[in-house]
Amino acid sequence: MMEEKKNLFTPRVPRKYIGQYRPRPDGYEKASGIAKFAEDMTLKRQFPDMLYMKILKSPYPHAKIKSVDTSKAEALPGVVGILKYNDPEVAVMKMTNGSWTDGTGTFDKKRAFGAGIEDRKVLGDHAHWVGDEIGVAIAAETIETAEEALKLVEVEWEVLPFVLTVEDSKKPGAPILHPEINAESNWAPSTDFSGPDTYVDRGDVEKAFAEADVVLETEWKYGNAQQCALDYWNCMVDWARDGQIIVISDSYAANQTRTHFHCMLDVPLSQIRVISPYEGGNHGRGDTGEQPFFLVTALMAKKTRRPVKYHQTRKEHFHDTQSSMEGKVKIGAMKDGAITAIEMNNYGNNGAYCDCGIASVKFVPKEWSELTPGRIPNLKFSGNAIYTNILPSSCMRSIGNVQANYIIELAMDMMAEKLNIDPIELAIQNLTCHNVPAPNPCVEGVIRAGAKEIGWENRHPAGKGEWIAGSKKRGMGFAVNNVWHTENHEFRRGPTQVMIKLNHDGTVILDAPTVEAGGGSNGCAVNACAETLGVCPEDVRWISVQDTQTGLKDQVQTDSAVSFILSEAVHQCALDLKSKLLEKVGRKLDRKPEELDIEEGRVFVKGQPEIGMTIKEYYDSVDLFTEDFLVPLTSYYAREISDEDFGTAYMANFVEVEVDTETGEVKVLKMVVASDGGTVLYPPGAEGQLIGGQCQGLGEGLYEQIIYDDATGIPLNFNFVDYHFPTMADFPEIEAIPMEIYKGRGEFGCSGMGESAPCCTPRAISNAVYNAIGVRINSTPITPMKVLEALGKEGE
Amino acid sequence: MCNDKICFSGDLTAKEEVRLKINGKWYEFRVGIDIEPQATLAYLLREKLGLTGTKVSCDTGECGACTVLVDGKATLSCMTIALSVDGHEVTTVEGLAEDDPVVMAFSHQCEHGYGTAMQCGYCTPGFVMSAKSLLNENPDPTEEEIRHALSGNLCRCGTYPAVLRAVQHVAEDLRNEREGAKR
Repeated sequence: MMEEKKNLFTPRVPRKYIGQYRPRPDGYEKASGIAKFAEDMTLKRQFPDMLYMKILKSPYPHAKIKSVDTSKAEALPGVVGILKYNDPEVAVMKMTNGSWTDGTGTFDKKRAFGAGIEDRKVLGDHAHWVGDEIGVAIAAETIETAEEALKLVEVEWEVLPFVLTVEDSKKPGAPILHPEINAESNWAPSTDFSGPDTYVDRGDVEKAFAEADVVLETEWKYGNAQQCALDYWNCMVDWARDGQIIVISDSYAANQTRTHFHCMLDVPLSQIRVISPYEGGNHGRGDTGEQPFFLVTALMAKKTRRPVKYHQTRKEHFHDTQSSMEGKVKIGAMKDGAITAIEMNNYGNNGAYCDCGIASVKFVPKEWSELTPGRIPNLKFSGNAIYTNILPSSCMRSIGNVQANYIIELAMDMMAEKLNIDPIELAIQNLTCHNVPAPNPCVEGVIRAGAKEIGWENRHPAGKGEWIAGSKKRGMGFAVNNVWHTENHEFRRGPTQVMIKLNHDGTVILDAPTVEAGGGSNGCAVNACAETLGVCPEDVRWISVQDTQTGLKDQVQTDSAVSFILSEAVHQCALDLKSKLLEKVGRKLDRKPEELDIEEGRVFVKGQPEIGMTIKEYYDSVDLFTEDFLVPLTSYYAREISDEDFGTAYMANFVEVEVDTETGEVKVLKMVVASDGGTVLYPPGAEGQLIGGQCQGLGEGLYEQIIYDDATGIPLNFNFVDYHFPTMADFPEIEAIPMEIYKGRGEFGCSGMGESAPCCTPRAISNAVYNAIGVRINSTPITPMKVLEALGKEGE
Repeated sequence: MCNDKICFSGDLTAKEEVRLKINGKWYEFRVGIDIEPQATLAYLLREKLGLTGTKVSCDTGECGACTVLVDGKATLSCMTIALSVDGHEVTTVEGLAEDDPVVMAFSHQCEHGYGTAMQCGYCTPGFVMSAKSLLNENPDPTEEEIRHALSGNLCRCGTYPAVLRAVQHVAEDLRNEREGAKR
């Protein structure tokens, strides 16, 4: 028999399905290849008149189109439609941006997140990075023909000077990349949403530093990993003569995609039908969901009156990236370990467009300042995002919280060493949310659990470990952060809508609408439905394809909130449905509803379980001429999001590394992640998120970066060989500890877990490397070259 | 470390017709009419036969999502020219038994400490087929051998520990079967 791992999870409230280890509801569907993704639903054999569209890509990091000649492309047999930047229907398109909404909202553009930073022109004439899709789109009978036709397009370019780095972009005389946004410089403007450049200013940091016993300061730089969802962006749009637009896409949002089309194309919502099936991974890329290619595809479908499919190649899917950042951090403390002040500045490299750049730099660190350094009396955070000619900045598993953690936990680790205090004790003493005094049991809980599992007591002072095999040194590192998100952060979503239909055979159709991208919200919702209604999870069919014409508003898979906001609503809805059912069966059994209960699809008298009937038996026996045979028995429920603030939950990450001082290679030996979910609705999913998050964080910390050629601005590693992320061969021992300490509003009172899963990992790895070799490497990824440089061994 | 999976290097000479046995049934394609000579096996399976369990993610042999079996061996269908497979036997995930032990192990994997063996599921059929190939050749692999054999299949969700565990469960069942048969 294979040895079992020890069970590190104990549910606070034992329940039948919630909190239990059960297979995923979509497990068989996905393992057997039955599960359909958008790409699988938009084959030529299904839509024989479908065209394939490709868009011209800029070969220059910064250039303008002076003219194009498409006559040769038009003459190529198989070319059906061409759109150009100066065609009337293209030229009239409003300016947009790649992320109006942070995904959570389904409202119009003018009320959204990115309002005021509309920096994207749909099929425009101004290229801002190598690979920018601009100028010309061609639809043809085959992909090959569309590609061939693009090569025949003659473009006269005005090649412009470019900048790749924050440093170069802020220099006087740097080319201005978005004069429509800021004519003076490349800095993103302050909007209602982004606020001023000093976006957190609490207390008086200058005074606190002057009074502190110890003040430390350092610089840092965070890298630019890419989401690398295996399911590259794709969509098929049909714009029929009757005016109805049908969109099938792997966007993680059906209703938000519909709103996007509505706002940008001025088409009534009723005329737009968006169908979104499973999505093959998201990892943050969906937060730039309002991409111009959707609109170009729609315009092409209108022009040709045929379904048009756009899909990216793997290279093209390197389309947006995590926001890289750099800056300084300064920390002040008293000898007793009280952190009195933190000042940081963070400058984000926006890249070509400000998709989520401002959110990463200002919005999230501001929110975070209330949640992790929530009680540090003096804080000053300043920063902004600056345009450059690299890949647009976006989200990766978060908008900026991995960067925030990277910074503060660097300063905390330095201070702990200086004060000769254990870093975990320093964290427990100081870190908490604004409305809970330290020590916060949620902070302490995850830290103590993780420390025990990694064997933190064996950690040695930095660089003082034994030599192993002559050249290797080991070290341990740690980082803690709030998890993302709790319900009060989710108000932009509006009420959560769900519907449960009970069929007359006792099976259930559950409309808990969201695009399943791997996070397991479907499993949580199914288990919540089964738990509360009293049926078996196997009898609950969750609707996996979201359709804006027939379904309820889907919950966008962002913020790691969907599992619990859906499950809370499903719980309420199931209570309502259960009471309706018990009333009906009660009449049959001549009992009051409160005397009855349901388990595994059988209604019975409490205390006398032998008296009862299955749901099927009930419906088999009802009079067809009465309202009792109103089937399926249906309940709809809309649950409001509350802004009530219960504090937040936390996670802690511990890492042990081994550094080879000869080769510079860092090998992660063990990772421990303890994360508080409030209620862990679906433990295998939660553990999967935590473990998978470590795999991603491992990549961010050690391997992943996009490399540009300085001379040409050309990105060099847009493929899975040169852009390496962890494989089966790379993952270390990983222990995930799901915990239940926090309790928010509702039956379950959860916090999110998945988004934040990797957010401490790069910092914990970096601190462990320092603990091993006694030299800090303050940038990601920690490549062997950086280790050797830090050890003074470069060029050896 | 890389795995040993490659494109199928069959006969690439020009031919008018390709005959392939796919999931137990023979199919014929006229080259230049039904499929272009440069068509990949992945294209043929997905676009011509609608066998969409085979995923294409990188289309350049880097991710393993398109893995199928050719004559029982894991093969990258995006890197394999369809006409080179003339006369050979192809198995896709749709060709596995409904209760195939690898499919069932991936579906059911949920014991504590590992997570589930898929999240988004886009890479999963490729992993299943690579695991089939491994277990065909080596029914009792070590952890190292499993990691090696599956290292060409990328999973961005990071389900690797659960995938490893699922494959170990299948191997254990096979071991128990063999021992049961001996007794």
